[in-house]
Amino acid sequence: MLIPRRVKHRKQHHPKRSGKAKGGTTPSFGDFGIQALEGGYVTNRQIEAARIAMTRYIKRGGKVWINIYPDRPLTKKPAETRMGSGKGSPEWWIANIKPGRVMFEISGVSEEVATAAMTRAIHKLPVKCRVIRREEA
Amino acid sequence: MAEISIKALRRLEFGKGASRRIRRDGQVPAVIYGHGSQPVHISLPAKEVLAAIKTSNVLLDIDIEGSVELTLPKSIVRNPLKGHLEHIDLLLVRRDERVTVSVPVHAEGTFDRDGILEHVQNTIEVECLAISIPQFLELDLTGLMAGESKTAADVKLPQGTTLVSDPTSIVVHLSVRATIEEPVAVAPAEGEAAPTTGEAAPAEGDSEKK
Repeated sequence: MLIPRRVKHRKQHHPKRSGKAKGGTTPSFGDFGIQALEGGYVTNRQIEAARIAMTRYIKRGGKVWINIYPDRPLTKKPAETRMGSGKGSPEWWIANIKPGRVMFEISGVSEEVATAAMTRAIHKLPVKCRVIRREEA
Repeated sequence: MAEISIKALRRLEFGKGASRRIRRDGQVPAVIYGHGSQPVHISLPAKEVLAAIKTSNVLLDIDIEGSVELTLPKSIVRNPLKGHLEHIDLLLVRRDERVTVSVPVHAEGTFDRDGILEHVQNTIEVECLAISIPQFLELDLTGLMAGESKTAADVKLPQGTTLVSDPTSIVVHLSVRATIEEPVAVAPAEGEAAPTTGEAAPAEGDSEKK
């Protein structure tokens, strides 16, 4: 699972959800990609689940790239705790996703296999997504 | 190399409000610059431009109220979600001028099917005459075995075209398909995830409860 080895601040504010992706909006490595259509927080567990869904489906064929990294911690206060007494403990690691961001890429498989594998991965993600293909110039 | 003529209108108002009005009218804001001249702000018909730029490095004859300028698209800004054009930078070129452009590389030929073809670079930079920019370059992969790669120096260049990219830079790599170890490595990763969840949650909860 993707977790940063070291962070500057263990407890951070929630990342901004507004705006569109400034870069990484087209597949750079593979032939097909999963593009986010809305913003949201994607946890490291969801990234891992999506990766496993894809790699299990394509078996030995193809290669998968993960373009996002969960580098922001989110904290949570324990249940039935009174307010105050400091910020809660880090609970999740998330990647802040903006609309348009290509999160996963795949290559080395046919379009049918890639689409099917990516559809399975999309089901594991908390944001609306679509499968896009690299534009042939 | 095809040349496409497009009629343009000179832009007189600027800023995001004016640009949005232009886009609503089915036009695309654009700017022409180069050769040390003052930039010219124009608007182009979106549909015609969208059809024209499907060809890479297409030469555009921009007719600005009578005067025709030969240009090359330098930067194209698209909306990442809707795909429509937001802005275009056009570079002035002369017919006898040599220009440096990024040209797509198409892989051809039969290679070792046990490998996974990875396009490390989809385009390479070449220098050529503005009127003879190749639409694409061919890279022959015949006989390429898994684990091997082809560099920019292996790309077939047409006459009059010289390579600008680093000749040793890898363009295509045929990576070795994962062996049976890959699924074995994946399976414990999922198995490990479950126990850590169980362990981590109570431990943090206990320490925080006061």
